[in-house]
Amino acid sequence: MRRVSVDIGGTFTDCFLAFDGEYVQAKALTTHNNLATGFMEALGSACSSIGRTADDVLRELDSVRYATTLGTNALIERNGPDVAVITTAGFESTVPLMRARGYGDGLSALEQVDLPAADRPLSLVPVTRITGIEERIDFKGDVVLTIDPADVRKKVCRLVDEGAQAFVVALVNSVVNPAHEREVERIILSEFPSHLLGAIPIVLSHRVAGRKGEYTRTLSSVIDAYLHDRMYHGMATLEVVLRKHGYRRPMLLVHNTAGMAQMNSTSSLQTIHSGPVAGLEATSFLSKRFGQPNLIATDMGGTSFDIGLVTADGAKFYDFNPIIDRWLVSTPMTYLHTLGAGGGSIARYDRMWDAIEVGPESAGSDPGPACYGRGGRFPTVTDANLLLGYLDEDNYAGSSIKLSRRRAERAIEEHICKPTGMSVIDAARGIRRKVDANMAAAIFKEVAIKGYNPKSFRVLSYGGGGPLHACGYSAGIGITEILIPPFSSVFSALGAGNMDQLHIHERSLYLMLFDANVRCMLEDFTAFNEAIVELEARGREDLRRQGVADEQIRTRVELDMRYGNQLAQIGIVCPYRRITSTSQVIALLDIFSENYARRFGEGSQAPEAGVRVNVIRVVSYVEHEHLDLQPGTAGDAGLARPHSHRMCHFANVDGPLETAVHAHDAVREGMRVEGPALIETPFTTYLVEAGWTLTMGRMGAAVMRRTA
Amino acid sequence: MSANEEKSLVEKFLQENVLFLGPDPEIMNNHRLAPETPEETVALAKFAVADELNLVRHKLLTACNESFDMVEQMGAAPGAKWGDLISGVWTASGDLALSSMGGVLLFSVLTQHPVKFILKYWADDPTVGIREGDIFVHNDARYGNIHNTDQSLVIPVFHEGRLICFTGAVVHEGENGATEPGGMPSKAESPFDEGLKMSPIKVGENYTFRRDLMTFLQNSVREPKLQLEGMKSKLYAAMRMKSRIEETIAEYGVEAVTACLRRTLTDTAEEVRRRLRTWPDGKIRQTVFADGTLRENCLVKICLEMTKKDDGLTLDFRGSSPEFLNRANNTVLASAKGMLAQEFLTFVWPDLPRNQAVFEPMTVITDAGSVLNCSPGAPNAQSMMTFFPSFTAAQLAVPKLLYSAGERSTDIIAGWYNMIVTFIYGGLNQYGELVGNVCADLNGMGGAARANRDGEHSVAPIFAPMADIGEQELIEEEVPMMKIVPNRVMKDNQGFGKYRGGHGYQQIATMKDTSMWGFMCCAIGSKFPSSHGIFGGYSPGTYPLCKVRGVNVFEVMQERRDLLRYTIEDIMNERPFEGARYSTHHMGLQLEFAQPGELYMITQGAGGGYGDVLERAPEDVADDFRDGLVSPRVVADIYHVVLDEKSGAVLADATAAARRAEREARKKRGKPYDQFVKEWVTALPPEGLPYYGSWSDRAVIHRGTPHDTCPGDAIVSVMMPDPKDVRIAELERELAARELAG
Repeated sequence: MRRVSVDIGGTFTDCFLAFDGEYVQAKALTTHNNLATGFMEALGSACSSIGRTADDVLRELDSVRYATTLGTNALIERNGPDVAVITTAGFESTVPLMRARGYGDGLSALEQVDLPAADRPLSLVPVTRITGIEERIDFKGDVVLTIDPADVRKKVCRLVDEGAQAFVVALVNSVVNPAHEREVERIILSEFPSHLLGAIPIVLSHRVAGRKGEYTRTLSSVIDAYLHDRMYHGMATLEVVLRKHGYRRPMLLVHNTAGMAQMNSTSSLQTIHSGPVAGLEATSFLSKRFGQPNLIATDMGGTSFDIGLVTADGAKFYDFNPIIDRWLVSTPMTYLHTLGAGGGSIARYDRMWDAIEVGPESAGSDPGPACYGRGGRFPTVTDANLLLGYLDEDNYAGSSIKLSRRRAERAIEEHICKPTGMSVIDAARGIRRKVDANMAAAIFKEVAIKGYNPKSFRVLSYGGGGPLHACGYSAGIGITEILIPPFSSVFSALGAGNMDQLHIHERSLYLMLFDANVRCMLEDFTAFNEAIVELEARGREDLRRQGVADEQIRTRVELDMRYGNQLAQIGIVCPYRRITSTSQVIALLDIFSENYARRFGEGSQAPEAGVRVNVIRVVSYVEHEHLDLQPGTAGDAGLARPHSHRMCHFANVDGPLETAVHAHDAVREGMRVEGPALIETPFTTYLVEAGWTLTMGRMGAAVMRRTA
Repeated sequence: MSANEEKSLVEKFLQENVLFLGPDPEIMNNHRLAPETPEETVALAKFAVADELNLVRHKLLTACNESFDMVEQMGAAPGAKWGDLISGVWTASGDLALSSMGGVLLFSVLTQHPVKFILKYWADDPTVGIREGDIFVHNDARYGNIHNTDQSLVIPVFHEGRLICFTGAVVHEGENGATEPGGMPSKAESPFDEGLKMSPIKVGENYTFRRDLMTFLQNSVREPKLQLEGMKSKLYAAMRMKSRIEETIAEYGVEAVTACLRRTLTDTAEEVRRRLRTWPDGKIRQTVFADGTLRENCLVKICLEMTKKDDGLTLDFRGSSPEFLNRANNTVLASAKGMLAQEFLTFVWPDLPRNQAVFEPMTVITDAGSVLNCSPGAPNAQSMMTFFPSFTAAQLAVPKLLYSAGERSTDIIAGWYNMIVTFIYGGLNQYGELVGNVCADLNGMGGAARANRDGEHSVAPIFAPMADIGEQELIEEEVPMMKIVPNRVMKDNQGFGKYRGGHGYQQIATMKDTSMWGFMCCAIGSKFPSSHGIFGGYSPGTYPLCKVRGVNVFEVMQERRDLLRYTIEDIMNERPFEGARYSTHHMGLQLEFAQPGELYMITQGAGGGYGDVLERAPEDVADDFRDGLVSPRVVADIYHVVLDEKSGAVLADATAAARRAEREARKKRGKPYDQFVKEWVTALPPEGLPYYGSWSDRAVIHRGTPHDTCPGDAIVSVMMPDPKDVRIAELERELAARELAG
């Protein structure tokens, strides 16, 4: 195996290299002006660890896998092209009105409830670029009003004359009958042929999202069109750089569906949030390899805390309507819950409850915590961690940031100590206790709402701040075992290095498996089977385009089912590629019932209200060789010896405790570290609290167990 | 036997011989917190560290949000899906102490009454009792909540045999078997037309519904599936929350939970009092009108005198209209208080926690028997038609105090649009199923202008943040309505001002694929605006219901597409479909069965404007013109801005001149105040104006004519004639006149 995977974050570009059995991690500062620079620097650093140059390695690589934040950045910067939307006449306000609730999408709960201050974000498409054409298709896919080519042609030309640089065609009910969208495409191409200089990109909404919901599907298409040029040029530039350095194969882009694909089979929307999803995918892989069936993935960074779930039953958790920046879209994204809790989360005194509150406001990385000395004046979690003694002010974030204890103290004094009369250390302990409690509550809810008992899980902790807080938030849920994965500081990059090529296609349909009105089971399986055939073909086409042979292609059928008219649509894995008998239908009802009962309680099922399939999803994939990661096998190698001690304060202990400090490299496989202790790596710190013991495994993996 | 002994005997006899436990005024009229119990006193003494309490509170709030998510996911009612619900924890005395972040916030203040009824009447009743595993439900608004379409479910939580609290949820379920489908019958002429009427009732034990009672309830409504799914979702959410409370007790002890619930309430009340102390003392008066009962046009006065003194706020609505004994627009006092709390929870202090104590420092005064404090014999299914205006009265009064307040938690705003403009529907859907409910696009009320910027278009209802107007494709899949125009921003539909209110949208709906489908509407404001601007800003417009009957638009689509129009004004002004019947109406439409392809058209209202139109930046007017929000006429006649005809750019000098001219014209139109009062004020309401409420004296209430009055403290309810009888009489007069004329 010879592959490199790269995950670009706000501060660091993470790199994981797997080369002839050697696994190497590296980091470099993200170069926002030209991401390829940081990419090559990180790669160069990784290659030097195995005594090779980047050029040598690139020439011999099987694949380069890339989780990019380019799309997210472009959305935030609002520097996309002038996109025009062609929609069904009468639906011109669908995008601007954002389903009313759109003012609050992507904001904190407190911002969402503040109606007088509600402001919609600056739209990606101005209203003057939205035009309605006369046509209409009903919910069944029947044409109610035919399309008028002359009307379309006139409007297309007007939009181009006014400056449109890309078209989104999003017509009502196009997912059940895309004929009109295709006709609009034909007309645009006839006016602006693709081989001529005046060619204009066209995005048809039914190709972007297969689900009903005209607003979210249109927005998904708009984002695709908006990001397309920027991402195409960004990725193409990177490919050129890689080719210059000797790489000869297509680059693979990581998708937020927990798969990856070549550029010719990737839409911009699929790349958003791909880094965190890669981390969750790596968690899923470790779950199998390490024999840990129930894992809660927790990734604590500078501004946010991502929570994901891997369960013994192999359930797939999707967010079908994720929020990208401020936009609600339709795409089957692997589900992650993000909480506004990170090192940069701001602490404040809450007068009403006479207590310390933390987040969701964040100082981010700019200006960052007060101790960064970059202008931040509010106390943050990192400031508290510094004052409690956990962070080494001279060796933080790869020594790239020098921390200022005085600035941290001053921020806490001003904002917490003054109103409460607390000492600085007590205030820092209060901050620590609250942020850990917030994370614990969020984890608990995320696991419980899906119907699992949080206490039957282990926590997997990674990211810059995860291992520093893992004991705190795990204890808050009653979890007594924490895994720190191998290569934890580049864990998402590792996940990208372990992914399969995968595509998801889905389609809305209205299919009663059990019709409560007439008390009948589904007997005509044609629509069901035809939909699967169509979706399998689309997946096969995607993979063939990337050179995958048919015999390598695997598929998985998933169904979104619901009782009656409930909102809850629960995804199940369908054990059949085709349905041919009523007994199979009953088996599906049983699978759904079991899943539903786990989430909402046994007895809460309501099959008497009818059972429907709303969406059929086909996952088409090709399995790649996976990394060889194994849990530690060494016996007890005794207690590790710290290189020093320092006094640290702990949230639930009065007075300071002398705390051992270890260098990560010095704690070898099989060694134990008893808390209270700190284990320092160049990019993160593990905090082993009193009553916990850490045992080091292979490749930097570790287990922390509560022993008291 | 002494007189006292005799009195005791009589009281005992009366207590033992109660025919019927109606709504208890002692419970219903009291929105204050229950007194601290001995258990709470002990718990507060034992568990007093604020940081620790905060951790417990956070845990319980997370549980509330978890159960909210469950109800939203498992509920089948459209209301549940867009968050018209609340889930929470009530103290052992029945006060709502904690509730979910999302949902309809007025529930925060008016869900305690049924719980308190259960405690007062059923706890010690040997035929009922309160035991572990019991399930209580309720929907009759006279015992609490907003209207009968809301159904609540609570279960008691015990620890070692002692009642600790209640958990549960309240959801706007929709269909409830009323005289019209959908749960909000504007046609109701008595409470007995309003469908299912559950006083607080035990429907299950051991966390299991009794099948006989479930069957009865399902049999009482048009959507038995909905009834079942709604009750199940609430029960399982309540049970989940109960489990979380038990886990919290296991971790922190029972006193922690008891102390947390009580402290949350008292701390919230204290915080509200502290904030009120930062407001200047003073008295503000504000009058608004409802322009109909949903059955007929008339003026229903809602007058408010708001007094702020020290840390209290008194909202005095005396002098408002009398109740209508055979109309559904009456409000139970508790509901009115809930809606008033909404103003403070959402529009003044959105950062406050959602619980009942927010309203603790407020006092509400009304005339008994008025539309804001109706008697149990008056129907209330459409109480929104009077309590939404009462909310608006408070919303318009508050900025005048907030302007000089020591601190503010959000922006100062004009009047938010306040009516539920949408279609209620009923009939057979395309799958042959009998359904009745309300469309979620009522959630697109126009946002009010702010003190420093424009309002947002169709952004949120006054009663819930983050409410959703839904996706048309998904709606069409479930019901046979097709929106030719679903939610399209309407030109000139803004509250004009220095900062304009957000626009409302228009809707053009029809039906297909069914043999039976009816539409209803329920909004006021088609003759007189239901909300208003402030400090010179304009009110939103008035919005009629428009219909085109005798047309099948699907045939037009096939045969004469050139006749298609996509705005209400084009359809109503151009009348393109030959032979069709075009009509406009007030927005109170009782169930009317439609034919395929007939058009029903309504307009969502705009938010009120803020400040003088002549102070609006001309460039902002030009932007609105470019975006199709205003017509040339509004640009010229309202804002007095002159734009270049070709480019649409502002012509600065011409605009300055136009505005100067308008200011001069205003001076000429103006009158000295005394002269204006002399010309304007009359001793009595005009003859011929159906006017309800006080005129010059708040203690004298008019009952529809200048001379039919009653005292405010002895209101005589109003009975309205049947509009059909009125119409028949009109036609008979017309006929007689024609006959006379030969």
